[in-house]
Amino acid sequence: MTAAESELWEDNASVPDMTLAVEAERLVKQYRSRGDTVVDAVRGVDLRVTNGEVFGFLGPNGAGKSTTIRMLTTLLTITSGKAMVAGVDVAADPDAVRRRIGVALQEAGLDSRQTGRELLILQARLFGMSKEQSKTRADELLELVDLVDAADRRIKGYSGGMKRRLDLASALVHEPDVLFLDEPTTGLDPASRLTVWDELGRINERGTTIFLTTQYLEEADQLCDRIAIIDDGLIVREGTPDHLKTELQERRGLATEPTLDEVFLDATGRTRERIAGEVQEVSA
Amino acid sequence: MSALEQANILGGRALREAWRTPEALAPTIFIPVFFLIVNFGQAGKIFPSDSTDFLYGQTYAAFQLPISLLLAASFGTAALYLVEEIEGGYFDKLRAAPVARSALVTGRLLAEGTKSLAITAILVVIALPFGVSIASGLVGFVLLLVLTSLWAVVFSGFMQLIALKTRSAAATNSGGLIFFPLLFLTPNFVPRDMLTRPMEIAATLNPVTYVMEALRALILQPLSWTPIIRGFGVVAVLGVLMVALNVRIIRTYD
Repeated sequence: MTAAESELWEDNASVPDMTLAVEAERLVKQYRSRGDTVVDAVRGVDLRVTNGEVFGFLGPNGAGKSTTIRMLTTLLTITSGKAMVAGVDVAADPDAVRRRIGVALQEAGLDSRQTGRELLILQARLFGMSKEQSKTRADELLELVDLVDAADRRIKGYSGGMKRRLDLASALVHEPDVLFLDEPTTGLDPASRLTVWDELGRINERGTTIFLTTQYLEEADQLCDRIAIIDDGLIVREGTPDHLKTELQERRGLATEPTLDEVFLDATGRTRERIAGEVQEVSA
Repeated sequence: MSALEQANILGGRALREAWRTPEALAPTIFIPVFFLIVNFGQAGKIFPSDSTDFLYGQTYAAFQLPISLLLAASFGTAALYLVEEIEGGYFDKLRAAPVARSALVTGRLLAEGTKSLAITAILVVIALPFGVSIASGLVGFVLLLVLTSLWAVVFSGFMQLIALKTRSAAATNSGGLIFFPLLFLTPNFVPRDMLTRPMEIAATLNPVTYVMEALRALILQPLSWTPIIRGFGVVAVLGVLMVALNVRIIRTYD
């Protein structure tokens, strides 16, 4: 964010920009370790995601992707900085944010002892729908994610792809303005991944803004209108996939257009050799 | 939708979960029945009903039944399922919904209380062939059910605190073992005035003692309000404390 943009933000701080689905300014998250050492998981992230966009948030393991998404979805407190989601201040009114967002986090967090239908009905009830409305909404969503046949089976018996689709459906019960997805296709086979991509396309066509993190760069290239790359808790690149590729091609004087993988490697200062041997993890 | 309605919805889900895992419920009944049979079998002849004043004409099994009831009420699964949900990610899904933070923790406690009502009734029925009756009548039986299930809420609340703080199944499981010293630092084999002085002091300081004495009063005597009120007072204070601590911890949960 430039100084001029920063000033503009401060000037308009009390008037949320309703064309933006997500706005973050100098977002910081620090953890205290047992030895009372402060760990900076996110060191000042600025983000602006427009309504209706599919926004990809990329970065190496431990770069701060999940921490950022957890702050934006009210699951983690914000150490400093400001975040607005769907026009609502995340820190000031988290409950209002929760009413406007759908969340599907890593590893499809589902209650495996319930059936798919029960899970969706419960989720709808928690969003304030009546029993009848909840049943109707569950039927609609089961249809949307193609789980009608498995609706009354316990989730324990679902495949990874089915769980992902159910998780997506449960994030959509209340027709959220913004859908946050943390690595929605990690661990899925190629066919299941394509199915999830199709679902996301359909959801976005209905006007839902999608904010997703992913480790698969071809996924970001395929799905996202714009992407941001975070490294070591800071945004290091932001733009459309084409813009980022063109920028790298021009800057490096490359003969052919680079891939998004190359943009990623350039942005994070990593080499293929270094990534292959790297183990990096930051835990909440 | 109010926090109470949300807690009720989440409680209903927790009950369904318990119903679907009978293998987790079985030890809750089996182990307390085992204790009842073994303790009665070992000491029943030492304390014959016709010459033991503190039995009020009942068998020693009636004196032992409160231990089994408290044991069953302390085998709640709320905290273990909670920590499983934390580890599996579903708890975050619930936290990301516009649900009152208090409902997230009280839903399972409500379910635990309800489950305990049913388990207590089953244990009382199982104890009947051992010569046990509820001397305080129907009102006393209802009070017995309520008091035991309130204790289940208290102990599950304590276990949930460990689950929320440690987020570890192993730590939560180990935390539950604290009930055994608490149970044995009570007048569990004889009334408090027959204990040695150090044990009597320890039992007097132990809140479980008052719940046990209230349950015993309900089983052995016609309604005797002093121990009953004391028992309800203890669970009321501890219950409020546990719910307050649970709500506090969930509000600052990161």
